[in-house]
Amino acid sequence: MNRDNILHIFQFFLLLFLQSFLLNNINLFGFINPNLYLLFIIIYRLDGNPTLLIIIGFVMGLLLDLLTQGSGGHTIATLTIAFLRLSIIKFSFGVNYDVPMGMIKGSLLRQRLLYFMLMVVIHHLVLYSIVYFSLDNTITILKNTLFTSFFTFIMVFISLGLFREKND
Amino acid sequence: MRQLVNALLKYKNALLYIGLLIISFLFLNQRSFYHQSIFSNASLVLSSNLNQAGKNISNYLNLASSNKKLIAENIKLKRLELILFSEQVEKNQATDNFPFQVLGARIIKNNYQSARNYLIIDQGYLDGVEKEMGVISSDGIIGIVNQITANFSSVISILHRDIKINASFKKNGAYGSLSWQGNHPKKMKLDDVSTINPILVGDTIVTGGMSDYFPYGIPIGKVSSFKRPKLEGYYDIDIELFSNLTQKEFVYVLKNKMKDQLNQLKYESR
Repeated sequence: MNRDNILHIFQFFLLLFLQSFLLNNINLFGFINPNLYLLFIIIYRLDGNPTLLIIIGFVMGLLLDLLTQGSGGHTIATLTIAFLRLSIIKFSFGVNYDVPMGMIKGSLLRQRLLYFMLMVVIHHLVLYSIVYFSLDNTITILKNTLFTSFFTFIMVFISLGLFREKND
Repeated sequence: MRQLVNALLKYKNALLYIGLLIISFLFLNQRSFYHQSIFSNASLVLSSNLNQAGKNISNYLNLASSNKKLIAENIKLKRLELILFSEQVEKNQATDNFPFQVLGARIIKNNYQSARNYLIIDQGYLDGVEKEMGVISSDGIIGIVNQITANFSSVISILHRDIKINASFKKNGAYGSLSWQGNHPKKMKLDDVSTINPILVGDTIVTGGMSDYFPYGIPIGKVSSFKRPKLEGYYDIDIELFSNLTQKEFVYVLKNKMKDQLNQLKYESR
């Protein structure tokens, strides 16, 4: 048990409870609930064990669904994004993908923004596709994905700013 | 072997992902009625089409015997029709008032081994089948329509542990609810019949007509044995069905034309 592991466990539960008891009750404009818990998967070390991350993602989504009486959308979305993360990293960081904390420092701003955006948008697309689960609701799915992704993206970006100041 | 292990290790993330994905879909299926209905509809489309293909072949081989059965039933119906003619009733008026319409259908998958059985029939909403219609055969009741696609429907069999059917005694109208215990496809149980009604072994049980699925008076079965518990006010009755649900091929779907009115009354009197 080194310091990093304890920090991860702390982050995990902090984000989980923050998401289920605070952020899921925002209902901005009636339907926007930013999913900040995705931050855990975004700031997981780029060279960390991907198999472990898939399991953590599954457990996190499952706990979130159980806490919020969700139907199972968060489980599938978080699991999928944890699985796709390796490909997204390679696609967005290119040669820099082995910098351990590349999403905070050591890479170009453009690469970082692309990484955040892909992670957030794919996660939300999967989430709302599972929640609505019908082709008739395509417009609703896209609308929810677009607006909620936008707010999640802003929150993720602000939170990472806080992290950076602490780390420097 | 070593190569197999290496391949498994190489794709371990993908395999783990697929495994967990299956678990989460099961979780989704458990928790949400909406997703459950979509999944079961998709599986109905798949299984009905596969079974149709297999059934087409066996149908062709069984043409001779099914012709015999149809002729036998036609003879029976013809006799009933003649009796009806001879009674000089105003027949048109009688059929107009009778609220049930009949659609013919063929069973393409019949299940009776599990505790909760379903059938698939080859008529769907394009043929006028709707959800919650009653399904009967030439000598008894079969079940209730559960899900529909364009050309097929799935029917909850009366051999289903969670279904209860209103039934009554032909001789005095004492009614109870009929349920299946999951053991034998010809044996069912009749509960909630009050002990103030006299009953005998061999009494005929018919549909009660209190639900909108079946009209009154379709024969279901006869009492094979009954017990009278000392402390309760209700009989414990075993029924033996007239029809053998393991050998059915043709069924009739009953459409209740008055159902909207009945539902409206139920809604208003609530």
